[in-house]
Amino acid sequence: MFDNRLFRPGGPVKPEEKDWPSFRGAINEAMREEMRRDPLVFQMGEDIALASPFGVTTGLAKEFGRERIRDAPCAEVAVVGAAVGAAMGGMRPIVEFQFGDFMSVAIDQLTHQAAMLRYLTGGQVSVPLVIRLPCGGGQGAGSQHSQSLYSWFAHVPGIKVLLPSTSMDAKAMMKAAIRDNNPVLFFEHKQLYRTRWPVPAEFRDADHVAELGKAAVRRAGVDITVVATLTMVHHALAAAEALAAEGVSVEVIDPRTLVPFDVDTLVASVRKTGRLLVVDEAYLNFGIQAEVIATVAERAFEALKAAPRRLGNPNVPVPFAPCLQDEVLPGRARIEAAIRQMMSR
Amino acid sequence: MRAMLLIRAVEKAWGDAYLTEEITGIPPSLSTGQEAIAAGACAALGDGDFIFTTHRGQAAQVARGLDPKRILAELYCRRTGYNKGKSYHVTDMTRGVVGMGGIVPAQVPIAGGMALAQKMRGTDRVSLAFFGDGASNEGAVHEAAALAAMWTLPLILLCENNRYCITQRDTDALKGPSIAARAAGYGLPGVVVDGTDPLAVQAAVAEAVARARAGGGATFIEAQCERLTGHLIHDTQPYRSREELESAWKHCPILLFGERLERERILSADERARMNREIEAEVAGAVAHARTQPYPAIHEAYEDLWA
Repeated sequence: MFDNRLFRPGGPVKPEEKDWPSFRGAINEAMREEMRRDPLVFQMGEDIALASPFGVTTGLAKEFGRERIRDAPCAEVAVVGAAVGAAMGGMRPIVEFQFGDFMSVAIDQLTHQAAMLRYLTGGQVSVPLVIRLPCGGGQGAGSQHSQSLYSWFAHVPGIKVLLPSTSMDAKAMMKAAIRDNNPVLFFEHKQLYRTRWPVPAEFRDADHVAELGKAAVRRAGVDITVVATLTMVHHALAAAEALAAEGVSVEVIDPRTLVPFDVDTLVASVRKTGRLLVVDEAYLNFGIQAEVIATVAERAFEALKAAPRRLGNPNVPVPFAPCLQDEVLPGRARIEAAIRQMMSR
Repeated sequence: MRAMLLIRAVEKAWGDAYLTEEITGIPPSLSTGQEAIAAGACAALGDGDFIFTTHRGQAAQVARGLDPKRILAELYCRRTGYNKGKSYHVTDMTRGVVGMGGIVPAQVPIAGGMALAQKMRGTDRVSLAFFGDGASNEGAVHEAAALAAMWTLPLILLCENNRYCITQRDTDALKGPSIAARAAGYGLPGVVVDGTDPLAVQAAVAEAVARARAGGGATFIEAQCERLTGHLIHDTQPYRSREELESAWKHCPILLFGERLERERILSADERARMNREIEAEVAGAVAHARTQPYPAIHEAYEDLWA
């Protein structure tokens, strides 16, 4: 389903996908449109002007110049701090991290400064910034370049957390992130970068901006609700398609944003299906999967026909060797197996 | 002189409020001995410039001209304080004062970001980050200094070396000749100045401001002084000898500057005493004001998180 050759340039595009925008191209287009619209938008990141490792900023330095597409040194604390200060000073910075795992290096600037300063100052400042965090496993990038750490940041107050899973969402949600007056983390699953998706007409509309906090029902069903994010949305859809042949009707919900979280769509779905499976690459302990299940338990416990289940990384680092990596990450086969087991009870 | 006396009076009122249990929570962090740095630095700044203060930031907030009534209302956790009773770190964006310091070095990279905004927006305004000798060992300061050099940011890195990082003597951690000597490694001008002399601090900061306004980039200033009171007010400094503390008090900037103004026949002892009485009356009024102000309403716990 996904291209594992992310670190190799080029690669053929299937003929039927030729006119579909790629995921990374969608992000690029969103940023380009917003930088044309608003001169206060600018970017900082390592190598973003000359050779962004995943190509998301390709061509932007040529159009907007090196003042607005600023190559930053390998100094994440200073760069995130610069984004916070610049945002307080009226600019609208976007920061690229080469791997989202590196956010750990500058976590204070994000969780204590960007996220809290508005509150601490009694509403005197706003901190409109976007941090782009390539995330996720599947490319053999090793334990410190393959994580899905959004639960860390959804845990603390004051940060919006976005998880786009299609080209349409990548573009519309990036535009929403840039126009938002709060700190926003934009998680980009690396295996999605080269994927291409058919898009509705509004993809070409420069004024189309996503409404944050609205989950997408990717597939309607009546027997079980599967909540999945990023690549797991597509694994879940493939599993749902296979199970349809067995007579199991799976509803797939893509929350799209963890903060704000669309509780209503989730609860309505579980009230309909009575079963809940949550799938994510994130570590299972105290993570996104548990939060979703707890929310349903509080809001719709009486609707549950079976104990909810969760799939995720069973709390080991994402291994380097592909055979080990595949062992710890969920995917279509495990989703199918979990659904069959839940339906057999 | 007036600014330094006002700082000390405001801080004394704050400290007394804690010692008499009128306010509770984390104890006050007084700038006693450091008043000349705040007074001198703020005298070199203009409208539209920004300062980013530390946990020991009340001196600079006073020196920048903030209203002692609203500062004390904030420290009394009242809703009419500058931050609506939500922080110990007084902020007034309209006067270019950002109170930080809950996490020791964090204000320094953010001041760099404000300087970047000032530069990108085509202004000649500058940002000044206060930080201590303890914070100077933090990576955030090194990164911010390096980035300020790389991007020629209109930033002043003002290290207040008060000799102690809580209980640790500065020289325990510093093995180079000075903190400012590190500036050469970043490619920035580094200046050591007598932090007990407000005019010397003002001159050093004014030179840095002029350089930044002219597009010459950042300056690293180390202002050396003595911390005369404890890290926080409950700290009686048992780790310092009586002789050391007595010697430190000889470097009290108010004492030294007062003597100088007398010597130079600018301000007599009587005039200083009269000035101080006026200030004490003003601060007593500010305390009385703070005491009468309302606490935040409970629903305000849920406000001001999102823009």
